[in-house]
Amino acid sequence: MMIQLDTNIANFTNDKGEETPVQIEVKDVNIFYGSNHAVKDVNMPIHEKSITALIGPSGCGKSTFIRTINRMNDLIPIARCEGNILYRDNNILNPKIDVVQLRKEIGMVFQQPNPFPKSISENIQLPLKFAGMRNKKILKETTENCLKEVGLWDEVKDRLDHSATGLSGGQQQRLCIARALALKPSVILLDEPTSALDPVSTSKIEELLLRLKKDYTIVIVTHNMQQAARIADYTAFFYQGELVEFGLTRNLFTHPEKKSTADYISGRFG
Amino acid sequence: MKIDKAVIAQTPESSPKSSLLREKGLMKGFIDHYSETRGKTIIYSSALLMIIAVVAITLFLTVQGLRSFFVDHINFWSFITGTKWSLDQTNGASYGAFPFIFGSLSVTLLAAVFATPVAVGCALFMAEIAKKWGQRVLQPIIEILVGIPSVVYGLIGLSVIVPFMRVHFGGSGFNLLAGSLVVGIMILPTVASIAADSLRAVPDSLREASFAIGGTKWQTIWRVVIPAAGSSIVTAIILGMSRAFGEALAVQMVIGNTFQMPHSIFAPAATLTTVITGSMGDTTTGSVSNDVLWSLGLILLVISYIFILIIRMLAKRRNA
Repeated sequence: MMIQLDTNIANFTNDKGEETPVQIEVKDVNIFYGSNHAVKDVNMPIHEKSITALIGPSGCGKSTFIRTINRMNDLIPIARCEGNILYRDNNILNPKIDVVQLRKEIGMVFQQPNPFPKSISENIQLPLKFAGMRNKKILKETTENCLKEVGLWDEVKDRLDHSATGLSGGQQQRLCIARALALKPSVILLDEPTSALDPVSTSKIEELLLRLKKDYTIVIVTHNMQQAARIADYTAFFYQGELVEFGLTRNLFTHPEKKSTADYISGRFG
Repeated sequence: MKIDKAVIAQTPESSPKSSLLREKGLMKGFIDHYSETRGKTIIYSSALLMIIAVVAITLFLTVQGLRSFFVDHINFWSFITGTKWSLDQTNGASYGAFPFIFGSLSVTLLAAVFATPVAVGCALFMAEIAKKWGQRVLQPIIEILVGIPSVVYGLIGLSVIVPFMRVHFGGSGFNLLAGSLVVGIMILPTVASIAADSLRAVPDSLREASFAIGGTKWQTIWRVVIPAAGSSIVTAIILGMSRAFGEALAVQMVIGNTFQMPHSIFAPAATLTTVITGSMGDTTTGSVSNDVLWSLGLILLVISYIFILIIRMLAKRRNA
């Protein structure tokens, strides 16, 4: 489902010049942690099959915001959200939404690789088993496909029944991405997925994300501005809980409209 | 001359880098190990005392326990497999300890079977469902339960469980099941509190991962949290079992204390510990009757060591 925007943002195109429709529409979102107003009046579109990067200094609310898109903030009792996040004709923030179903379509990958202390194949099959899939053949096929999709298959195909905790940090993170892909979600949220990894693993994940954006909508929080510049089609700059600037990455990095954006991307603070 | 004196007074005696501690005489030099030595002596001697105690108890029990086989020439095999037990030296004594070994093991196992589901359920409630309330209210209550003396549990068994058994299953009401239930209730708080701790030790990142792939709360607990805490929960159960295995008083009050082999869980029985506490006072040191009780003690010790070994092995596998 597409939502027509009345702003000119909808007319942006991605790097290839193709127009991608808006998949998630964020409208007037406010998030509070107790009395702390963590995210203030955020409005932005998230375009289908593209990479949207959220950048900004620590504590600017970007992680809080991304965790709201699949309602992970529900786990924090003092967190409270207001506003609308429209996805497939539904408001994600509606308390009546079945968050379990929502998270099956909007997957998430975290900062620290967090594979389950189970076998590699079990890690990928668990989401399917959660969803009620019992067919062994499909489970096996999905395991292989997901591992191939993240480029891990050749590295682990001989030890699928080994514990996932024995993998290196970068492999674990790719396994976590594969796990998020198992249910074929439409959106994948990544909260600083490479900040705990070495440069080689980081570049592998970046290449992977560029491949994945053909099929998935990707939202990534990153501390690393170069990373945003390298992989993102759209970039949103958050500062002190506010969305300061949103736009095509090439525009935002070359001709930032706001002074604080310019200061941040030139490394003057943050 | 005057100027020289002033200069000397301003400069600290030893060196220009002299520290406050040196000036105040609290530090004399870098080769002063006095305080280190004092601390080390205290810590090392406590550790040594501990080791000596364990080794001494084991040795003493082994020496005493082996007397029946080497001094009194009782056959070891018939001792642990024989089913007839009598310390009556005038009418032909018989030393078959199997009913007690069986009694101890079955009380322990049944107690674990009764306690485990309730204890794990309770731990899940405390650690996963009602986190705040569980930690603030339930955990202290359970810790109080751990500290209740076993004689109180025995008394409750005597006044509640035994009459219940008598009314519903006939007989005197003193039986194996009553003993297992009392011990099961007794170890329940121990198992629950350790199991809750091990559930809390499961990192939140795993719960997040599970929720993020569309797991429900129940699926997360059942498929992610419990398996991750797995061997720690088993350790909690085995710790409870080793406590049940060593319990004498509470069991003795409700189990019936017969020397016969129990033929059902509704029959009275005895355990290694209840026989020792029940008979030790009637024997004289150095007699055969006394020696065989020491042998029962040795068997207790060996099986307790096996429990501890299992716990260590599980811990090792968990860390590997």
